[in-house]
Order: sequence, then structure tokens, then C-alpha cells
Amino acid sequence: MIYSMSATDLMTSKKPDAVTRKRVLSKLGEQKPYRCYQCLRCTSGCPSMKMLELKPHEIVALVRAGFIDELLNSGIAWACATCQKCKERCPQAVAPVDLIMALRNLAVEKEAKVPESFLQSLSMILECGRISRPQATLNRKLEKIEREKLGLPKLKEPDEKFKSAFMKALEKTS
Amino acid sequence: MVIPVYWGCVVPTMQYGYELSVREIMPRLGVELVELENASCCGLPVQSINMNAAVYLAARNIAIAEKMGFTELFTVCNGCHLSLFEASHFLSQDEKLREEINLLLKEEDLQYAGRIKIWHTIDFLHDVVGEASIKKTVTHPLNNLKVAVHYGCHILRPSSVGTVDDPENPRKLDELVEWLGAKSIQYPEKLDCCGSMLMMSHADAAFTFTGLKLKAVQDLGAEALIDTCPSCQNMFDMRQKSAAATTGAKLNLPIIYYTQLLGLAMGIPEEKLGLNLNRSPIDEFLQKVSVSS
Repeated sequence: MIYSMSATDLMTSKKPDAVTRKRVLSKLGEQKPYRCYQCLRCTSGCPSMKMLELKPHEIVALVRAGFIDELLNSGIAWACATCQKCKERCPQAVAPVDLIMALRNLAVEKEAKVPESFLQSLSMILECGRISRPQATLNRKLEKIEREKLGLPKLKEPDEKFKSAFMKALEKTS
Repeated sequence: MVIPVYWGCVVPTMQYGYELSVREIMPRLGVELVELENASCCGLPVQSINMNAAVYLAARNIAIAEKMGFTELFTVCNGCHLSLFEASHFLSQDEKLREEINLLLKEEDLQYAGRIKIWHTIDFLHDVVGEASIKKTVTHPLNNLKVAVHYGCHILRPSSVGTVDDPENPRKLDELVEWLGAKSIQYPEKLDCCGSMLMMSHADAAFTFTGLKLKAVQDLGAEALIDTCPSCQNMFDMRQKSAAATTGAKLNLPIIYYTQLLGLAMGIPEEKLGLNLNRSPIDEFLQKVSVSS
């Protein structure tokens, strides 16, 4: 489990944090969360609502109200399956999933809760251009099979220039 | 026709059955696939870390196809579809971001123009290759085998950014399956997510998503689940046992890529389609297919 306390548990009646709110909203490029009128269409269809108590409408309301740190510390943004149903169905084009991704980006910037595997994927991309090198797989008889054995062409990694270019992209865009 | 193919990460490093079956069926449909030079990850997993860096990765692969002189690009992975379309969307709306990204792409002598048409397995086969061409290659019709189709999420939504079909009532994969002689069953869980994106943070929840969908499909009497995404296939097929254990369900459902199913209908041998690599119990289903031929 990545989080043990919900955003509600972490609320302390402190004043809203307008600075951090602006930081989150600037990632979205617009003031979209202010268009939300809490119709709950998003949460009604959210698959993570059933499993992980993710409530997209609540996240929008909490961001609007300025309680970003509580959201980050609860780790709730990582409960999203990114199925995009909320974005598809929102009548106001708020797109809770976009807000959730902005919170994830902020969590990385602030070095708050971030699942290890995302960072591992990133280092693999820096290392070989993809999230993984070709892995041996098992067939139905549980025998190990390598990519070459299947007659597939050798998988090329992008060249050295990619690594330095991507490194630069990461630095420049953060 | 000649079209560049973008494989992404999961297909060429883990889901070889998908790559094998695509390489087998395309020539028979008159499609020559060209490899993208120097391709890298589409950026989808990086979206959670740094959205602009993810846009850079997506734009980079599109720019490579453009540099090679192509006006169309074919991707096999749902996740890549979302990343490429979202990047295109951002870059068409944000002039400043576009300049930033192009400045970075100069390092590799690339430029993003955004004039390329991006296809996915489903709309490429349904809209470009088309019914007549596909039906012409069917030598072993699947004679009314009942299958359930799984579109996944990232090719249908958000429709404002890019979709291969109607986001709430998709029909193309159903039709693609019916063109092979099989029957596509309608079911309430049709648009349910496989949960694979949750594997990075909540594996149990991910397996629950998978297990609940499979149980529902199985209970309706589907003889197989057909999909077009390596991440979905990874959950439904490779991790079916984990999904069964997590949900306490007895799962026994054959999971097959659409391109593998099409290959079977074309009479291509199982090994060539990588069907020995499917981990779900497909042997009985394969026997039914060969009996019907």
C-alpha cells in the first residue's frame, strides 16, 4: 500500500495554500478545476473508486480549496488507473485525470510519495531507450524463450545522442 | 502499401506474440512494414513524472517517422496510441511548448511538424485495410466461436484527443472479429479497464480489475477474450493466475491478440503467430479453430 491515511485524515483546518495551488494549476495551462460543479459523473464511473476509494470530484474540490499537500501526502493520486473515463464524461472539460497527473508531477518535484517503479522506468529509458531490454519469456510449457530464438529481428537501442538529448529534455522541462 | 510501424516498449521486449502475429499477417494484407530508425519509448510512463518530458519522447518518435518521409504511422500498442495523440494535442495547442520541444529535438537533428496520421491496429485494419481485403484472406473461418472483445482504455478515450472508434459504443473490433466468422458477444463490462497501469503502485487492485472482468466474461460463456494491447494482454493472459488468486475466482479463459486470431483464420501455423507464448489455457480453443477449418 502506498498510502495509509486519506486526504481527509490529513486535514488540519489550516489555511488554504494558494501558492501551491497555483503551482499545480499552472501545469494544466488553464483554470479548468474552477469549472467543476460537482456533478459526480467522474466518480460514478471511476473504476478506482470501487477498489481504492479514489474520488476524482473530491480531488478537484480539494485542489480548488487549496489543500494540495494533504493530497500529496495521502498518495491518492497514484490510485488512478488512467482509464480516461472521467475526462471523457466530464461535461465541463475539467478532466480530473489531468489534475491527477499534475499532482503526480508535483509529487516528483517536491520529492513526496512516488512509487519506485515509475522512477525505475525512467532510469531504464535513460539507460537503453525503453522501459526494458528484451526479456526471456516462458511459453505455455514454461520453457524459457529468448527474442532471438523466435526469429524476430534484433532490437536496436537508440544511439548515444538520444541519451544526452533526453537528459537535457528532463532538465529543461522540470 | 508501405507504412512505418511503431512497436513501443512492451511488445518488442516482452509480448513477442503480438509482434510475431503482426509481422505474419501484414504482408498477406498487402502491407509492408518499415522499422523506425532509433525509436525509443513513447513516454507514457514518464507522464506521471514529468508531462513535458513525456511529450518530448512521443514527439521524438513522430519526428523520426516524419524525417523518414512518411505521412502515416502505425502503432500496435494502446498506451503508445494515447501518448502519441496526447503529445500531438498539446503541441498543436501550445506554441511555446512546441518551440521548446523542437529546440530539444534539434540535438538529434529532428523536428516535429505534426503532419502525420497515426493509426492503431484496430482502425488500421478496419478502416484502411477494410472488410473486403480481410475477408479475402480468411481460409479458415472461425465458425461462430463466441468471443468477447476488449478494446482497452487508451485507444477509445479521451475522444477529444484521439479515438479509434465511438468511445461509449465501439464496434470496430466487434466487426473485425465477425469478419473472421466468429461471434462477438455484448457484455456490460465491455468498457472495463484491465488495471495494468495500477501495477506500478497497487498490484492487488490491478489484479482485481483483471480478475473481475475475466470472471464476468467467462460466466457469459465466452470462449476467448480478444484484445489489441500488450499491457492488457499482460494482465489477462500472463497474469491470469495472479488475477484468479487475488479475486478467488477459477479462471480458465483463453486470451488471444486479434492479430493472432486473424492469423488463425488465414491458416497460418500456431508457432508463427507466437501462440505457444500465450500463457492462458488456449489449447482447447485452438482445437476448436482447427476443427472448424
